[in-house]
Amino acid sequence: MLWTDKYRPKTFQELMGNGKIRKQIENWVNEWKNDNPQKPLLLVGPAGIGKTSLAYIIANEFSEHIELNASDKRSYDILMSTIGESSSTHSLFGESYKLIILDEVDGIHGNDDRGGTRAINKIIGESKQPMVMMANDFYSKRLTTIKNKCLVIKMAKVHTNSVGATLKRICRKEGVEFDPEAIKTLAKRSNGDLRAAINTLQAISEEGNKIELSDLESVSQKDNTNNIFDTVRTVLKSKTVNHIKPDMMIDEDPTLVMEYIAENIPREYEKPSEIKAAYANIAQADLFFGRARATRDYTYWRYASDFMGPGVALSKKETYRKFTRLTGSQAFRLMGQTRGKRALRDRIAEKMEEKMHVSLEVAYTMFPTFEVIFANDEMAYEISRFLELEDDEIKRFRKRKIPKKVITKMEKEIDEAKRLEHEEYVKHYQGTGIFRESTEKVVDEAKKDAEEKVKESEIVEDLKEEVKSVEKESSKDEDKSKKRKPKDEEPEENLDKGQTSLFSF
Amino acid sequence: MVINNMIGPWVEKYRPQNLEDIVGQKQIVNRLNKYVNEESMPNLMFTGPAGVGKTTTALALAKAVLGEYWRQNFLELNASDARGIDTVRNNIKNFCRLKPVGAPFRIIFLDEVDNMTKDAQHALRREMEMYTKTASFILSCNYSSKIIDPIQSRCAIFRFAPIKGEDINNRLEYIANQEGFDYDEEAIKTIVYFAEGDMRKSVNMLQAAASEGGITEDKVYDVVSKAKPKDISQMITKALSGDFMGAREMLRNTMVLQGTSGEDMVNQIYQEVSRRAMEGKMEGEVYMDLIEGIADTDFRIREGANPRIQLEALLSKFL
Repeated sequence: MLWTDKYRPKTFQELMGNGKIRKQIENWVNEWKNDNPQKPLLLVGPAGIGKTSLAYIIANEFSEHIELNASDKRSYDILMSTIGESSSTHSLFGESYKLIILDEVDGIHGNDDRGGTRAINKIIGESKQPMVMMANDFYSKRLTTIKNKCLVIKMAKVHTNSVGATLKRICRKEGVEFDPEAIKTLAKRSNGDLRAAINTLQAISEEGNKIELSDLESVSQKDNTNNIFDTVRTVLKSKTVNHIKPDMMIDEDPTLVMEYIAENIPREYEKPSEIKAAYANIAQADLFFGRARATRDYTYWRYASDFMGPGVALSKKETYRKFTRLTGSQAFRLMGQTRGKRALRDRIAEKMEEKMHVSLEVAYTMFPTFEVIFANDEMAYEISRFLELEDDEIKRFRKRKIPKKVITKMEKEIDEAKRLEHEEYVKHYQGTGIFRESTEKVVDEAKKDAEEKVKESEIVEDLKEEVKSVEKESSKDEDKSKKRKPKDEEPEENLDKGQTSLFSF
Repeated sequence: MVINNMIGPWVEKYRPQNLEDIVGQKQIVNRLNKYVNEESMPNLMFTGPAGVGKTTTALALAKAVLGEYWRQNFLELNASDARGIDTVRNNIKNFCRLKPVGAPFRIIFLDEVDNMTKDAQHALRREMEMYTKTASFILSCNYSSKIIDPIQSRCAIFRFAPIKGEDINNRLEYIANQEGFDYDEEAIKTIVYFAEGDMRKSVNMLQAAASEGGITEDKVYDVVSKAKPKDISQMITKALSGDFMGAREMLRNTMVLQGTSGEDMVNQIYQEVSRRAMEGKMEGEVYMDLIEGIADTDFRIREGANPRIQLEALLSKFL
């Protein structure tokens, strides 16, 4: 039996860590027991800290529970049929609730899970049953809509001391002898992942009876205990190949490790020649990552690893005796900060893609020119109307709004021209007579259409006249509404700024 | 049809609708007209630089061959679409499943095929074989060398040359007259010079120059400098002065925020460095060192490396 299951905490009291969280959850459960429905719980935190255990403990408080986890296909239908129904039907006995547990909600993605987030949102909206969800990444895009409908409980990593204490307790119960140093090291390396620590403990204690530091060596390399910054630090601070190479073995996306190393090169290295040489190695590494991608032959990764590790390390003449604050990839941070702006840019580019038959890349190249063109009111109006741009999209190209006067004038002109052209079109096809009957019918219909349009446009004219007279009377009111508008847009910007802090390390 | 073209940016408003109106590609148009008369056509590949009329020709050809119901029988897809080859294939599959309505066959226009990976191109090749009876493909690309041989051998290849200055000149004057703008001949000539045979760029520049009234030479220069990211020059100055972090930040801003592609960045850096060398602001040896770096970066980006990382490395060479 897996020790992680065997020693899974069964009560709130047994659960490691935070008393405040415990109180929050006990409250939540009690409210449900008093027939007072609560928002769903969203437990967020890194892997192996006891989210699932906590969910099971909560489940014990209810008579029944259903559970879905990441390995399930979460298409909209499956989600709806398994929990959609049960969540909206009351049990016959009013007070007994059925707890819904949904694991790894931030993992919903890809084709198989199409509609998954939508289903969850729907269930949250309709559910009359208590619900607990778990997620790893608080900032995941998929959580944005879910987050504010839930009571979010952020769970921190388990403290090294707590991990150590738990490991020792298990050892004693299992009758395994241990060197305290070994347990301490194991706890430290677990980096707050209690589950991983227990798993490792079980793995090494099955082999011999007493756990020594040396036992850890055999598992340490498989383990993701090395932090990405440790690797970066080793690369920048060391010059010994046999020291650096083992540290390159970490369970992170290697291209991410490369980004982190590249980011910090100019922060640590001072001589231009060093930066140049180090970056040349990064470029080489990147080249091999590209080749691996293109050929799907990932044996190339080993060269990438050597270029970005020892290659960068040996680019310095001597190790710098100074403290450097390492940072995460600022390029990624920038992408996070500018997400809103880039989304706006992409929305516009997609419209251009559709209407102007260009790729997104070509569309981007036209932006600076459009900025110039949009200074002209009429041109700005014409292009905006053609691309069906929204107000915020127009704002990307010009700060001022397009004056109302211009809009009404242009609208009139365009409607008029359209009408004339339609008449021409109909007349032209009527006159030729070279068309078969069927087309004549079409022409007749077109003619009727055109006549209706003419009527419509007359009605529109009348309406516009009316609107104008009303507008004149209420022009003061309008000024007020103008002032109000920008305020509405403010929160969006704030959101953007809010995001930035999430990305600083 | 014409109604749609009444408003919009000039590039769209004055996009030629018929094969006869296409500017500067006489020979190609003549050959394509044969397909129109025969009511059949093989798979075609249009290759050539940006803004020389590949898309316009494809659209006009489709209208001519497919006739009245061209819209229903024409599918335009962006092959470099971020959504990936599977989306492209699904679209093709769904489109080809139906029989052509009111037209002899259907046409699928795939733009920027050279931005597809080799794997995706092989997948595309299978699609091309599968639907030979019901559909013809028109592929467009900047460099035919980036297209795998099996695809090339299945297409009649048409090479679009940059449009001659004279032709662009006439077209610009026509547009300016139609729109009722006064223009200096010198201004038009300047646009033609900067656009380097790219009609889309030319017409956009013309409209930008016209946006504040008359089309004058000064206005054109103004547009040229505004439409070109100044940041590139500043970035290079920063890197040359030893401020790598500052230069790197500018590079990231340009690429992330403005969405400038790696290829564009390389082009602009190359132009800026050449300009400095031409103006005697850079020593020959330094220049050749940098050119070596730029060339290498260019090649690597085309080979599929990460453009931003490669450009950051290139910047460090300026130190």
